[in-house]
Parts: sequence; structure tokens; C-alpha cells
Amino acid sequence: MTRSDFMIKWGVYALAALPVWLLELYVLNRFPVLGVSPMLMPLAAVAVAVLEGATAGGGFGLFTGILCDAAYHDTDGGMTLGLCLIGVCAGALSRYALRQNLAGCLLCSLGALTAIDAVRILVRLLQRAAPLEALLAVALPEIAWSMVFVLPVYGLFYWVFQRVPKKTVL
Amino acid sequence: MKDFFRNNGLLILTAAVLLALVTAVCSILFGGFADPLSNLAGILATPVRNGISAFANWTGERYSDAFEREQLKTENEELKQRIAQLEETARQADAALQENERLRNHLDLRPSKREFEEESAMVTARSHSNWESAFTISKGSSSGVEPGDCVVDEYWHMVGIVTQVGENWSTVSTLIDSNTELGGQLTRTGEAAILEGDFTLMGQGRLKLSYLPENSELIAGDLVSTSGRGGIYPPGLVVGHVEDVHTEASGVTRYAVVQPETDLESLKQVFVIKSFEIVE
Repeated sequence: MTRSDFMIKWGVYALAALPVWLLELYVLNRFPVLGVSPMLMPLAAVAVAVLEGATAGGGFGLFTGILCDAAYHDTDGGMTLGLCLIGVCAGALSRYALRQNLAGCLLCSLGALTAIDAVRILVRLLQRAAPLEALLAVALPEIAWSMVFVLPVYGLFYWVFQRVPKKTVL
Repeated sequence: MKDFFRNNGLLILTAAVLLALVTAVCSILFGGFADPLSNLAGILATPVRNGISAFANWTGERYSDAFEREQLKTENEELKQRIAQLEETARQADAALQENERLRNHLDLRPSKREFEEESAMVTARSHSNWESAFTISKGSSSGVEPGDCVVDEYWHMVGIVTQVGENWSTVSTLIDSNTELGGQLTRTGEAAILEGDFTLMGQGRLKLSYLPENSELIAGDLVSTSGRGGIYPPGLVVGHVEDVHTEASGVTRYAVVQPETDLESLKQVFVIKSFEIVE
């Protein structure tokens, strides 16, 4: 794959991530379900990782993490590192332990969302900011509602995946 | 995983760690002001944010026009009656004010005054996370907004505090956010306490009034306002009213659950208090 192909491929992936980012930031949080709005950017990182593998997943996770840290309040770089790690793990898991398809993406997404909320819960428990029940009352509906969006997010990136050069040389 | 390490995977992970560190350090160094990356993202996203906000507001108004006309009529009638009552109260207050002025003159006291420099702003985006209560407004450092400024609604009910400032946008943490803490005062008794956000109550749209004086006698419905102690926030801004009184898990102290007077879910326009001068 030429450098130009490489740039076009990841440019298209980045463009596909933008509507997902804007949807999460400015639209879906206006219509909470069960009192929560969904997390879409981790799903985007996982979807690309499942389709493209660990290295590309890590790179795309880094990009989505930077977007999240730029837009979210009080994340202090946590999303950059977190989503990069999630991309690497999802890519490796789907390739070596699961399958590089929707089922693999569903499992990896569930793992990613659980990991993110587990960190959030742990931080708040250590700060003694709230009891575990109150934290779970936010985390569980958040994970459940976010999982609903795995199919459309995976569908979007699968559509992109089918139209871009397959072999990635980083 | 050989492929991962062969294909620059380690480089990507190192970049992620370094970027996360730089972001964290910038966040500490810039205090309440947005770091360059967040500022740029906020500026670039402004047209989309404003567009979506305008469309959502327009849709909401059309919905109200179509389906809430009868409710609005009833509300209008009730408000007319309320205005009549308030006009009567205002007439009585006028007389009290004149008497107060005469007495202040008699005692050679400085005339009392409450002056605020405020900046009007539109609410352009809701909270991005389920773990905090915040929103984005359309004014930032270019309009003189600073971290720590108080934000009120059109009725001068306290809404929250500016926690992050970009060039043409700011993030406001609401009263119910679990990181919010400010001095409160019970209007009826004048007793001071601490108003603080609580994660458990945040989901219910409520906050806590803690460190209540030992013998305080609270009544449901008691009005709570800002105490202004410390001079950071202006005193007398209405926060909400007492809903319930509970005993802390320790069994020693009590706290009150306060329902904010402002409707945080339907805010469209707010006012940032940039500076104030109050003489009691």
C-alpha cells in the first residue's frame, strides 16, 4: 500500500469517526434513556480494532482518545491512554481469542465499556465520593444503553473497511 | 503479538502515554482555562454545537406550541394571580425600603447596594458524561468569563460555577455536580451551612446542605441561598428549597436535601456574574 493509500484509508476512518463523536457529544446526551446517555467513541475504537488488528486499533484508539480528551470535561488525558489500550487489547483479542466479526466486536465492546466504568468506579470509591450502589446505578444502565449502539457503529466502520485497502503497513 | 511489536505497536503505546501525560500536566498548569487542544476542539465544534442547540430549541418551541397550549393558558392565568399578589407585596416593600433608607441616613450608614457585572450566554450543549452534571455555554475568555464565576438563570437563581474556559465557550458545573461546594444560608433563620453536590443525589437532580448547626430547626420548603462568606460568590442568590432532612451515616450530624430552584434540564439562557460589589 502506498503512502497515499495509507493516508486516504485512515483519513476515511477519521471522517467516519467524526459523526459518531458529534452524535455522542451534542445529540444523544439531549435524549437520555434510563437517565443516561451512551458512550460511542470506545465502540468506534473497538470496531476498528476488531476489523484492522491490534496495531491499527491502538493507533485509532489513540486518535479517538485525543478527540475525547479534547471535548470531555475533566478526563485529563485518561481517555487518550485508555482508548489506545482498549484498541490494542480488542485487536489482539479478536484476532487470537475471538473472531474478527460482529460477535467479536460485541464481546470486546462489552469488555471495553466495563473496563472504562470499572476505572471510574474505582477512582470514586478511592476518593470516597459515593457508595458502590450509587456508582453501579449509573454504570450498568450506561453500559447497557451503549451496547445498543454496537451494531450501527460496527456497521459504519465495516462499510468503511470494505471500501479501503486491506493491508496496512505501519 | 509479534506483529504488534513489529508494526510500531510499542511506538503507538509510548505516544499514548506521553500524550496522556502532556494533557494531564497542561490541565494542571492551565487551571480552569482550557488547554490548547481542548480550546481548539471547542472552537472548531462551535458551529455544530450552536446549530444543534438552535435546532433543538426550535423543535422544543414548536412542540410546546402544538401540544402544550392549554397547559400554557392555565399557567398564564395562575401567573396573573401571582403577579397581582407580588405587586401588593412590592407596594408594602417600597414603604419598608423608604423607611430603611431614612433609618440608614439617620445612623450615617453607607447606602446598601448590589451591583453585578453580568454576561448573557446561551446554553449550547448538555453534559457529555453521566458521571458529572455540566453544560457548555456560548461565552468564554474573549467575553471576560473566568473560572470560578457564578452562573445564574434569568430569575437570578443560582445555576452553577464556571469550571473550564475556552476562547468562545465555557463549561459550567451545575449546583448538583458532585464536585460543587459553596457556602449556603437558610433564608428564614440566617444559619450558615455548606452546599455540596453529592453523587447519589445528582441523579435525582438534588444537592446536600451539610454541616448544619446542631440546634437548627429546618422546615421542608425553607429557602436556601448563597451565604457569600469568603467573598468568592455573591450572597443572597437563591439556590433552592429544603426538601428533606436526614441523619448522616455516622449518626452524629444531619444534612438537608435541597431541590434547586432553577430547572437545570430546560436551561436555554444563563448569565455569568463576572464581578460584583455588595454593601449590606
